[in-house]
Amino acid sequence: MSTKKRAISDTLILLIVLVVLAAVFASASKSFRSYDNLSTMLNNMVIAGIIAIAITPVIVTRGLDISFGASLALSTVVTAMLYGKGVPQWLCLLVGFVMPIGVALFNGLMCEYLNLLPLILTLGTTSILIALGQVLTNGRSILMITDQLFYFATKGVLGVPFPVILLVVVLLVYWYLLSFTKLGRQAYFIGSNPRAAQLSGIRVKPIKVLLYLAMGVVTGMASILMIALSGVGYIYHGDNLTLPVLSAVFLGGMSLEGGEGSIWKTVIGVTIITIIFTGLSLLNVQFYFITISQGLALVVIVAFYEIRKNRQMARSR
Amino acid sequence: MSNESLLSRINPFNKESIAPALTVVYGLMILVFSLINPRFFSLGNFKAIMAAVAVSGIVAVGLTPVVLTKNFDMSIGSIFGLSVVVVAKLFNLPGTTIPIPLIILIGLAVGPLIGALNGFLITKVGINSIIVTLGTLAIFRGLTFYWSLKNISIPKEAFLILGRYFVFGFIPLPFIYFLVLLAVGWLLLRYTRAGRNIYLVGANAYAARLAGLPIRKTQFYPYLIAGFLASLGGVVNAAQVGFANSTFGNGYEFRILTILVLGGISLNGGRGSLVGVFVATLIVGSISNGMALIDVPINWRDAFIGIILIVSISVDSLQHQMRARKSFRSPAGKGAPISTKE
Repeated sequence: MSTKKRAISDTLILLIVLVVLAAVFASASKSFRSYDNLSTMLNNMVIAGIIAIAITPVIVTRGLDISFGASLALSTVVTAMLYGKGVPQWLCLLVGFVMPIGVALFNGLMCEYLNLLPLILTLGTTSILIALGQVLTNGRSILMITDQLFYFATKGVLGVPFPVILLVVVLLVYWYLLSFTKLGRQAYFIGSNPRAAQLSGIRVKPIKVLLYLAMGVVTGMASILMIALSGVGYIYHGDNLTLPVLSAVFLGGMSLEGGEGSIWKTVIGVTIITIIFTGLSLLNVQFYFITISQGLALVVIVAFYEIRKNRQMARSR
Repeated sequence: MSNESLLSRINPFNKESIAPALTVVYGLMILVFSLINPRFFSLGNFKAIMAAVAVSGIVAVGLTPVVLTKNFDMSIGSIFGLSVVVVAKLFNLPGTTIPIPLIILIGLAVGPLIGALNGFLITKVGINSIIVTLGTLAIFRGLTFYWSLKNISIPKEAFLILGRYFVFGFIPLPFIYFLVLLAVGWLLLRYTRAGRNIYLVGANAYAARLAGLPIRKTQFYPYLIAGFLASLGGVVNAAQVGFANSTFGNGYEFRILTILVLGGISLNGGRGSLVGVFVATLIVGSISNGMALIDVPINWRDAFIGIILIVSISVDSLQHQMRARKSFRSPAGKGAPISTKE
């Protein structure tokens, strides 16, 4: 019962932080309040948001995949290159959508069936993907602007942009899966005690691979969205994605020890992180300052949760 | 490297050592590269390889104790880059000339300071080591960019000689540093209590705690060493190239991690020796050199090193599982430690 109570107050604290941050940036910078900024911010948030949502169940089951940034970036590069070569648009986008799925499947299978440490493996995958992208482009960005993509990026239904609709759909699907299905309950069980889950007949490895795969699907969507929003394929698209997504997920109270976390907290975490970094970029700070603050945010957030956990453990002892 | 028998005699884990196999691989590699481009097998090129290998070797020796205690340090690339920039900045302070030893000392202090921060967050606060050091990687890389958006040159001949001098005309001075550090590190790990504690804590932290070993201290000091040697690598590199650029050391952690795992330092902790690291350093360095000589673009080399990393960690994991299974079957046999990892 006490844990239930704590969970509610945690969410409340995060919400308060969210409102305060929004108020601070809104008062500090006029452009932060504008409709334009609101829509850019929402768009920024969609890519980080859907990936953060998709990585949540992976972390719940004690997995991790940090190659999503590189995977997304390489897929935008390949899509744009194919388009430049005259391949029909639908085929380019399909390839761009499928590539991250392949990468995620590779990561999942390697982690689960060879028992590799997910962080190290996906760091390795990251370096390979980035290197391939550099081989293909020499670090240049490749233009890809089409009517359909432009329409998708800028228009919407009843004033709600398509990207935001995508975010809501992904959110609802994952919320349903994690909270109301057998798969979701099994995921939490695996996370809190993999051995017990295995012994009670849950097919741990296939489920974990499935969650990696689902994350690949979402990364594929994110890569198409990235091309639509930016109009280019660029191998460094993912650079400013990895640390913010991780920060957002940990801010939502996820633990690498598994079994904890929820979709809604992840969403609040993403919103806070997006507000911080959009706010910073509106204040016209230099790019290296953004890099520093990304690292700082990650360390501070994780340290904060860890210290609190240690205190609680000391108290309960 | 024909003295395999000597190698296996001095190697602490000679039964399972990866060093002899690696030496054979290295021999084959030299053969292949030499056949494709005869220029590979020349004194001039071996000088180049030794000079290039020394810096990554120094940093790899530093990271070894960290990985032996089953932790990681992803920030070594940033420490490396920051040290180069700090040294270059100090050489170019307007109006004042700081004595060279003092500059080197300040440059070398960068690493232990960051290492202490990493170590504190990991051992005292208890955060996952990769997450912490991914954060500090970004922080100090950002700081490096802040201090040097342009190249900074180092015009002091007396400093540059430290990286460019050749002993007997063909052994680069940095390679001597590397060999000395390798020998010192090997002796410390093998013959001191602290060194053996590192192996024990890495192999089985739970058992080590029950045996009364100072777990936190044993996990903390390696971060100071890793930071210090990353800084030293940076300073030596600064002396070699004679200028600083804010991208120095970017992605270095992949390369170093690849060297360690290829050299048989197990990611499951407590296993492997610096002898393997030495051969692996030569291999990875020669791959970069050899692929350049057979005209492979630089980006392919990064991809290739990434592939080596993934293959090495797969082999490491399979070996670990096989050992665990074996010691499970015959618990009375030579105790290969069963991992405490779930």
